[in-house]
Amino acid sequence: MQRIFWLAWRDLVLEFRGRTGILSAVFFLAVMLFILAMAFGPNPQNLQKAAPGVLWVALAFAGSLLAGRAFGLEVEDGTLDDLLLTPGSREWIYFGKLLFQFSLLVLVGLALLVLTAGLFYLPLQNWGWYLVVLLLGSLGYAAISTFYAGMLARLRGREVLLPLLLFPLVIPVVLAAVRFTQGLAEGIPVAELADWLRLLLVFDIIYVTVCAMVFPYMLEG
Amino acid sequence: MQLASSNQTSRLDNLTLGILGLGVVGAAVGFFMAMTAPPDQSQGFVARIFHLHVPVAWMAYLASFAALGYSVAYLVRRKSHHDRVAAATVEVGLIFMALALLTGMLWARPTWGVYWDWEPRLTTTAILFAIYVGYVVVRGAIEDPELRAKAAAGVAILGSINVPISYMSVKWWRSLHQTQSIDLTTGKINVDAAILIPMLVNLAAFTLLFIGLVRLRSLIAAREAAKEEV
Repeated sequence: MQRIFWLAWRDLVLEFRGRTGILSAVFFLAVMLFILAMAFGPNPQNLQKAAPGVLWVALAFAGSLLAGRAFGLEVEDGTLDDLLLTPGSREWIYFGKLLFQFSLLVLVGLALLVLTAGLFYLPLQNWGWYLVVLLLGSLGYAAISTFYAGMLARLRGREVLLPLLLFPLVIPVVLAAVRFTQGLAEGIPVAELADWLRLLLVFDIIYVTVCAMVFPYMLEG
Repeated sequence: MQLASSNQTSRLDNLTLGILGLGVVGAAVGFFMAMTAPPDQSQGFVARIFHLHVPVAWMAYLASFAALGYSVAYLVRRKSHHDRVAAATVEVGLIFMALALLTGMLWARPTWGVYWDWEPRLTTTAILFAIYVGYVVVRGAIEDPELRAKAAAGVAILGSINVPISYMSVKWWRSLHQTQSIDLTTGKINVDAAILIPMLVNLAAFTLLFIGLVRLRSLIAAREAAKEEV
């Protein structure tokens, strides 16, 4: 259990010392939001309608951009084999990387949420529920992107393959998260939207479990 | 040993041929029965497309379960045979899934008035299609056979989780798509016997066709692998 936190902590420290990854991701997303805001025109109603979709699509892009970070350094420095040499089962590597990926995504997601609220007039009165859906959605993204990033870590064409594999699988997350966010923005009571949140939760639980079970097989050899 | 195994895999065996032949005959009989079945009460003759749509959709879902089974078997046992069969089920399943989507769209146009609707069942099936396209692309992108087999197995296992979500989606969100003709969770049959029997004949025929095609495809894959080794 401790190992998981140390691995995630070490990766986060390295990430923030390097600064290139997360900063460029946030900057890229900010530019993307600007372009989308221009594309949807100056009418506040149109912008508000588009806001939930924009938020989650941007986060999906961030997820695939940052997914390579989880294993990129390990492969560059040749430390992946050292990780594999540690005694015990290997699920903890998955959980450690998942925690790292999840924290990155939540941080980027928070920045994105504030940016979309500002640029797209997303009303944030229910900020608690926005936070809940952000946490659940990020976990869903991170579960799958971490798995595929680890699987493709040693492969050369991974930058292209990763989004290709990732996006179809995260569609249920995007769908549920967008619908829930949309409902929140329109002021629909949360009780009526609970189905979407339930789907997100089920999805997260299933994918984290299955990914953790299959992941050790992907790393060896 | 090498010779024996290559001999075994290089011949198109009688079983595969038999299954394929039975499947073709069954499909012909099923087609005849479907065309002579009485028209549906509310939908008329358009409903006959279900005799094709339901079996191919079933096979498409079955393919992902088979791919899941063989992928897990590969990860546990590490036999390249399992990997080849998993790949074959996905490729054949992809064809069936495309057919299911296509026939569904052809039926939807006269009945719903649109070819496509963003409705959970359709959307999840389309997602499933995209996932298995990804599977085929990954297989094409990785050259090392062991790495390829492992990665493909990973994709198949994660992808198959979407199938139950797709199946249940019709019940979870009551929507445009019809409920299942045969409800597996309660065992209730929602269609008339005059339509059910041809549908079952078709189902059996398509199952045979599916198995035969998968066997054929894995035979070809085994031949290719044997050739690469030499």
